[in-house]
Amino acid sequence: MTAQKRKFIVIDDNKLDCFIAEKIILNTGLSENVSVYTDARETLEFIRNDTGLDHDLKIIILVDIQMPLMNGFEFVEAFEQLPPETKNNYIIFMLTSSINQSDLNRISNYSSVRQLLNKPLSIVKLSTMMETL
Amino acid sequence: MPEPGKIKVLYIDDELNNLIGFKASFRLDYKIFTANNTSEALQHLSKNPDIRVIFCDQRMPDKTGVQFFKEIKGTYQNPIRILLTGYTDIEAVIEAINLSNIFRYVKKPWIDADIISAIEEANRFYMANSMIVVKTEELQKAYDELDKFAYSVTHNVRGPLLSVLGAIDVAQYVDGVAELKGMLKMMEESVKNLDNYIQNIHDYHNLKRGQLHIEGIDFNEIVKEQEDIFRLEANLKDISFEVNVSQRESFRSDKTSLRIIINNLLSNAFKYQDKNKKDKFVELDIQVATGMANINVKDNGIGIHEDNVGDVFNMFFRATSDEVGAGFGLYNVKDALIKLNGDIKVETDLGIGSVFKVYIPNK
Repeated sequence: MTAQKRKFIVIDDNKLDCFIAEKIILNTGLSENVSVYTDARETLEFIRNDTGLDHDLKIIILVDIQMPLMNGFEFVEAFEQLPPETKNNYIIFMLTSSINQSDLNRISNYSSVRQLLNKPLSIVKLSTMMETL
Repeated sequence: MPEPGKIKVLYIDDELNNLIGFKASFRLDYKIFTANNTSEALQHLSKNPDIRVIFCDQRMPDKTGVQFFKEIKGTYQNPIRILLTGYTDIEAVIEAINLSNIFRYVKKPWIDADIISAIEEANRFYMANSMIVVKTEELQKAYDELDKFAYSVTHNVRGPLLSVLGAIDVAQYVDGVAELKGMLKMMEESVKNLDNYIQNIHDYHNLKRGQLHIEGIDFNEIVKEQEDIFRLEANLKDISFEVNVSQRESFRSDKTSLRIIINNLLSNAFKYQDKNKKDKFVELDIQVATGMANINVKDNGIGIHEDNVGDVFNMFFRATSDEVGAGFGLYNVKDALIKLNGDIKVETDLGIGSVFKVYIPNK
């Protein structure tokens, strides 16, 4: 049996950061399917309406904290309101340009968030991250 | 801050002769209110919250001066309290100081010099207290902004740098020259954002700490500079850019502030264009007449959602993720206008465009 490929969702208002994340994910060979969003509200709509889910492997969401209109925290809070059968299909990792203690404390309240990572994303970081799954 | 003018003084005493004598002696230099009992005194205080000094007799039929001062400790905190008494009642004095926030104690019968020195010193104390309140508010505001600043600096300064670092890392795995060029373009954007943010901080500091230099303003000259900056962008992005300046009278204002206002409004008008529209335009219209400069910046760009219009002048607020920005520009515009006693209004429709209307009075 060949290893199943994961689906990734990247949410970042900075287009270069989206590009970097996409490149790195594709380069690791972990996935051939990366969706990129610059507006977290659109991602939320997509997740809410997505019914044709593959339940074997959870989808990885990489979301930036600092974004206009809906920031990473607001996204996670709205995400946690979704029904369990939807939520359970995703694992969230948050990204930021600078980890501080208050952000770490905040993250610990969200059961759907696995970890907070420093930018920029790199192949090493992503591989280490995937090993924790 | 306390209003200039005569210092308002309230005197409470049950002996009418004392009230008359007090008023006669001091009414030329101070605005004197007199009260025969404490309920009359309360009426004066509620009508004149800017009374700065209260003299109160200790021995009155309805209550003692100390009791009265104790009563108003919570409701009227600002006036400075001075107790008058003919008795060398040490207990009353101790109580007065410890429980009723008394500033001074004057013996009856008074001599005018004692009263005047008491009023003057009380007034200095009052002014110092008011100053502390004002300065504390300013300081609190500065702290709040500093917090926001520290948080934003990590994102707005570190963010672009980390993006570029990330891109350099990724470039190792990229083969095609076309793709590399695409990445360079995005890296250039990141570096420009960083530069723009630093420029905004510079403007912010100029506006916050800099003095206004009021001088004669030639709007044609200011607009010429701005036109040179934006004409290139207009041509590059195929945006029609119309400029109209009509200044028939002399106008005095601060050039740096005007530059910041016009530059930021134009920068936004060019930045938040609707890429799907064919007839993209930006219009700058300046009319100077009857001691007022009206500056209008109009575009048919993406517009602002009505839910966000109220927030666009807030620090670090961004109403869209389509274009990069730090949420600093309009905050600086508003700040500059506050300094110039001006005002700004926005008319906007999502998808249709925006007009920013600025009013600045002649200085």
